[in-house]
Amino acid sequence: MKKLLVLSALAAMLASGTALADTSGKKIAFSNNYAGNSWRQAMLDSYGIVTKKAVEDKVVAAADVFTTADKEVPTQAAQVQNLILQGYDAIVINAASPDALNGAIKQACDAGIVVVSFDGTVTEPCAYRVVVDFKDMGKQEVEQMAKFQPKGGNLLEIRGLAGTSIDDAIHAGILEGVAAHPEFKIVGSVTGDWDQTTAQKAVATILPSLPDVVGIVDQGGDGYGAAQAFAAAGKPRPTIIMGNRQDELKWWKEQKEKDGYKTWSASIAPGVSTLAFWVAQQVLDGRTDIPHDLLVPYLAFTQDDFEAALPKIKEGGVATHEYTQEDAIGAIKANIK
Amino acid sequence: MASLRTMLAKPWIWSFIGAFVVWLATIAFTGGYGAGGMITAALSLAVFTVIVGVGQMFVITLGPGNVDLSLPANIGLASAVAMKVMDGNDAMIAVGLIAALGCGAAIGAANYLLIWALRIPPIIATLSASFIIQSIDISYGRGLQIKPPPGFADFTNWQILGIPVLALLTVVFTVGAATALQRMIYGRSVLAIGQNIRAAWLAGVNVGRVRFLTYTLCGALGGIDGALLAGYFRGANVDIGNEYLLASIAVVVIGGTSVAGGKANVPGVWGAGLFLVLLLTMLNTFGVSAGVRLVLTGLIIVGVITAAGGEKAVR
Repeated sequence: MKKLLVLSALAAMLASGTALADTSGKKIAFSNNYAGNSWRQAMLDSYGIVTKKAVEDKVVAAADVFTTADKEVPTQAAQVQNLILQGYDAIVINAASPDALNGAIKQACDAGIVVVSFDGTVTEPCAYRVVVDFKDMGKQEVEQMAKFQPKGGNLLEIRGLAGTSIDDAIHAGILEGVAAHPEFKIVGSVTGDWDQTTAQKAVATILPSLPDVVGIVDQGGDGYGAAQAFAAAGKPRPTIIMGNRQDELKWWKEQKEKDGYKTWSASIAPGVSTLAFWVAQQVLDGRTDIPHDLLVPYLAFTQDDFEAALPKIKEGGVATHEYTQEDAIGAIKANIK
Repeated sequence: MASLRTMLAKPWIWSFIGAFVVWLATIAFTGGYGAGGMITAALSLAVFTVIVGVGQMFVITLGPGNVDLSLPANIGLASAVAMKVMDGNDAMIAVGLIAALGCGAAIGAANYLLIWALRIPPIIATLSASFIIQSIDISYGRGLQIKPPPGFADFTNWQILGIPVLALLTVVFTVGAATALQRMIYGRSVLAIGQNIRAAWLAGVNVGRVRFLTYTLCGALGGIDGALLAGYFRGANVDIGNEYLLASIAVVVIGGTSVAGGKANVPGVWGAGLFLVLLLTMLNTFGVSAGVRLVLTGLIIVGVITAAGGEKAVR
């Protein structure tokens, strides 16, 4: 009986894959290249909450955050080199460029440091990449739109920052969705750079020349600006897919209270930084079976649950989710095939 | 005929011709659909470029090397200050505007202090100041969108017969700026300093005071612009002024003001501001991809500047 217990405990340990090595003496650094918008602030907040607890619980020895102010590659490359010299065991990084930092990342790997990138991921093969399934998000936007606008019609697409993998992935997903729903037609496309101001301006300039639009498919951070542009031009309000920003959800709530307005909201949770932290911890823990490319789900809100989430988001901020060690282990498991 | 020739000899006419041509091309594409809406959109968006463009124009006119690169950071900080002071309360709108104006003016004065006291070239001084301002803004606004009071937000959308009220007020302001430039001692002093700083000094112009006033004025205009932007775009944020680094200089140059200083005009800033927005309208309406759009924008701006510059060489 006792033997069986030990065996099952061992089996459970192997299955969950934890505690192969002790990480309580390990130091994890976070290299971040920008802090100037609500998403990045939420990312840092979530990271701070989770890592503070992890340090108190002696899961890791230290989890320090290093932010450069200017989005520049050379500054961040120099910062990574400093982190190597300071003797960190792992670096979690939101990188300024997918490939320009590869040299510094390679140096870190060669020094035996675990590198986990997220959001702004790096292409260097030795690093891990925590990537949100943006293509599915784009596809889901059209699927959801089909529920709200069953008759179909014209769509306006708002693109993100040109040249980024995220913009390409969401755009590809939207095209896939439209192909599956021929009742929709994309009649215009503008670049909103995930920024309310840019999006509002871009929509305002294209709006006069557009036919009637039933819906807007976008990438997050741009929905509120689009709504303002329609209001300013005196055009009827379309179904705008939202991106989890507090002002977007608040506007949605106001519209819902007014006339039962329906839509859907999805975006990458800033707390994905904490998932990257746990992945780094798991690698330091001695796990060797973790794939270098990890696909994780996005954070979505529906007509039924967005109002419950709204009070928890900071005024002017963005909805987030702090991941636990179990979440990370689950996400890793889902990616091992 | 003679009057047409005089008109064409004005350096600012080219920016209006450019704006008109771009507008015609767009409505030709849509078959006349949305022509009025485009003008309204162009006017509402051009206002913000015109306000900072006028400030930048005065600074650039001071002569070679004079430029204010701190405008984007200034706009970002002032937008946050204005929204925090207003705090969503309609009664505080005037106070918020004054706070933004004061914040901008203080930044402008600080810029000149760096240039004058530490003898740093304006490009370096204003650029390094913008890093400091941006850092203050990030810690002050914490990257959050701060919303304007409803009354102020509505005000930025008011229209009379399709013409935004904000645009009308800006026209009044630019008429004032043009008068200051051409008819008042201050404006003539700016032009004199731009043409030859030493000659201006020998002629008794108080060079230091005029330069100080000009940088402060430019900063103050950036500040008020930040508050208006936060109202129109429904929220202050750090990046709200980013595009005005290039745009404020572009409208000055496209508008026919000499980059070498000493020669300026206000109407061109309006023409160029409208031109830039209508150009964006045209490229968005044509549906060109983001990359092509950036390349075309660059090429067309170069084209217009060359056309305007060529005219100057003939004279």
